[in-house]
Amino acid sequence: MDAVEKANAERQRRWAKDQKIGEGTYAVVYRGREVATGRKVAIKKIKVGQFKDGLDMSAIREVKYLRELKHQNVIELLDVFSSKTNLNLVLEFLDTDLELVIKDRSLVFLPADIKSWMAMTFRGLEFCHRNFILHRDLKPNNLLIASDGQLKLADFGLARDFADPGYKMTCQVITRWYRPPELLFGCRYYSTAVDIWSVGCIFAELMLRTPYLPGESDMDQLKTTFRALGTPTEEDWPGHTKLPDYVPLGQFPKTPLRDLFTAASADCLNLLSKCLLYEPRRRISAKDALDHPYFFALPYPTHPSKLPKPIPKRTSSLPFEELDGNTEPNSTGPGVKANPPNKLKRKHSDEGMIERSKSIARKLDFSQ
Amino acid sequence: MSNRANGWLRGTVVRKGGVSTASSTRTSTPQIQSTSTTVFGGGVKDASGRTSEYFSMDDQCPVCKSDRYLNPKLRLLVSSCYHKMCESCIDRLFTLGPAPCPVCAKILRKLAFIPQTFEDLGVEKEVAVRRRIAKEFNKRREDFPDMRSYNDYLEEVEDITFNLINDIDVAETEARIMQYRQENAALIELNIQREEQYAQSLKEQEELERQEREHRAAELRRAEEQEREEREKGRREIIDKLETSDKDATKLVARSRLEAMRRASARSSSSGSLFQSSSRLLRSRAAQSTVVPDVPHVPLQDNWYAYEDMFTLRDDYDDPPSEAVRRDKEGVMRAGGYRVDQAWERALRCAVAGLEVMPLEGLHSPILEPTSIIGAGPDVVMTSA
Repeated sequence: MDAVEKANAERQRRWAKDQKIGEGTYAVVYRGREVATGRKVAIKKIKVGQFKDGLDMSAIREVKYLRELKHQNVIELLDVFSSKTNLNLVLEFLDTDLELVIKDRSLVFLPADIKSWMAMTFRGLEFCHRNFILHRDLKPNNLLIASDGQLKLADFGLARDFADPGYKMTCQVITRWYRPPELLFGCRYYSTAVDIWSVGCIFAELMLRTPYLPGESDMDQLKTTFRALGTPTEEDWPGHTKLPDYVPLGQFPKTPLRDLFTAASADCLNLLSKCLLYEPRRRISAKDALDHPYFFALPYPTHPSKLPKPIPKRTSSLPFEELDGNTEPNSTGPGVKANPPNKLKRKHSDEGMIERSKSIARKLDFSQ
Repeated sequence: MSNRANGWLRGTVVRKGGVSTASSTRTSTPQIQSTSTTVFGGGVKDASGRTSEYFSMDDQCPVCKSDRYLNPKLRLLVSSCYHKMCESCIDRLFTLGPAPCPVCAKILRKLAFIPQTFEDLGVEKEVAVRRRIAKEFNKRREDFPDMRSYNDYLEEVEDITFNLINDIDVAETEARIMQYRQENAALIELNIQREEQYAQSLKEQEELERQEREHRAAELRRAEEQEREEREKGRREIIDKLETSDKDATKLVARSRLEAMRRASARSSSSGSLFQSSSRLLRSRAAQSTVVPDVPHVPLQDNWYAYEDMFTLRDDYDDPPSEAVRRDKEGVMRAGGYRVDQAWERALRCAVAGLEVMPLEGLHSPILEPTSIIGAGPDVVMTSA
């Protein structure tokens, strides 16, 4: 046994796997615990053998970026080890996700609750963006909620770092309902603004308790978007007609957000409209959003521990990690629909033993 | 209340204003809504908007002295001067037009008689007066700058009410009311609207809760129905099995019983959750909020951007590789939101990150320390600069 194997075996012994709680395209998720402390974790076993090209892309992305990120509002990847031919990610165990909360009709949301969730989402996202990572798959079911009420961004299977100038990125990312129009128009050069659009959709969904822009196909998604927010003009969004997949879709009038969100405060609608601006460069940044008056106005954001949570009815199926339907984002369509309600979410937190020494290095060598 | 079916005025329960019920027998009388009923509207309405009428076996008309023993259909109405008389007296005295009250000689009209709700006519009068006053004197606490002036206002209202009830300085009091009405017309109107809105929202809330109850009931019925069907099905299955299989009959029966029980318990656990009324939930949320106070929003919980003064981002750099991107002839990068300055910022941040941090600092922090609150992450290393 060489040194590497030895280190791996040592790590493996730190974690115990319990029952299986979910399965996705490229991974199986188990509930587990840390042997020494009994702390609950989720262990995501990546199926290695079945991919000809080696590890699945999203597993690589997940490990690559979660190792970099440690923040209160981002899932923590605690450890990575291999067993036989499998790769195992040890993630923070989180109870539920925002989608389940939104769907649970027995819960009542106060405006302060929505404010609190939004603040936590923006904080987590700001942390990703400040580290030059685009999440690219924000949706309620990737926002997991810990037992203390903290909301955490999860599922970095589609994340990537900012592209260098001139490098193309794929436009087939983000679950359709949360995908911004520039991606639907096939734009290959984009930035943090794509995540902000998704957050805007989630914001609206929290108020409506139903998906805000549920398009049935990519084309329909554009139409649904324009129907809700009006067809963009050249002035609203300079240059969009030159985007690769641009098609004229007819003129829809702009309707004020107030018509749909009758009970929202003015601040709230102002922030929402800034998240849903067509022109990506003018869309608010996560950092500016956190400084928006909406968050400072009364009522104060609800303390996380008091946020409504679904009562775990079926203890065996509810609270897990989502296994993630994202491996093929362009074919699965809106994951929200495709996934049964007992999604498991994975949480990562990276407590790898060497992690602490990384705090400096990671800023210097981003691609490690 | 009595079951007298037909009378001069029919029914023991009449709508306020009471005119419509009379129409069948009083065709000759003009059906004008009496003004005095609106001013001194008698009786108290119940939830359905109807007036319940006072009725007693000892009723006697003070005018003609006929009583319930002589005339089982006797019905006493109250005049605007709060004197009772029976319907036949009213007919007799007032059919030919306004006439003086036999008791106090005030001029009365036939239409101004109202049904009686309270045994004590003093109460009847007070209720009517208070209702009339409340309609116009409807200012709220918010309409006053301070508690003092609000109390003065309430005092004045009570004064007016007292005067009207006890017939003190009626003319002068009416003049005061008139003056108030002119001065506050707009505010009165506004408060009426507010009142209506409030009533409306209450109604909506009730409606919601009612729907929820119905929903629950329907759910319950459905569950029962399902249970019955399953029992039925189970029984049929047993019979089928007994017919076709050659196994021991008692064993078969026992097994299917077991299955039925399992199904039933699965059902009850799945439908057990259901709803709580939303108002109850809201109340429990409100109670909770006193335990853990909400705190004002803090945009960022660490000090990351303090690092910003370690570099200055310029508007432009000599950067040949990004030349094409910056020119962006097509405008697609601009339209997609890509910004070259973000790439520059990244390069600069990476260059300065970790400056002034002691080598290997942070290495020996305990592994698996809980990710608690503010700035436990690696970024603290940067902010300590």
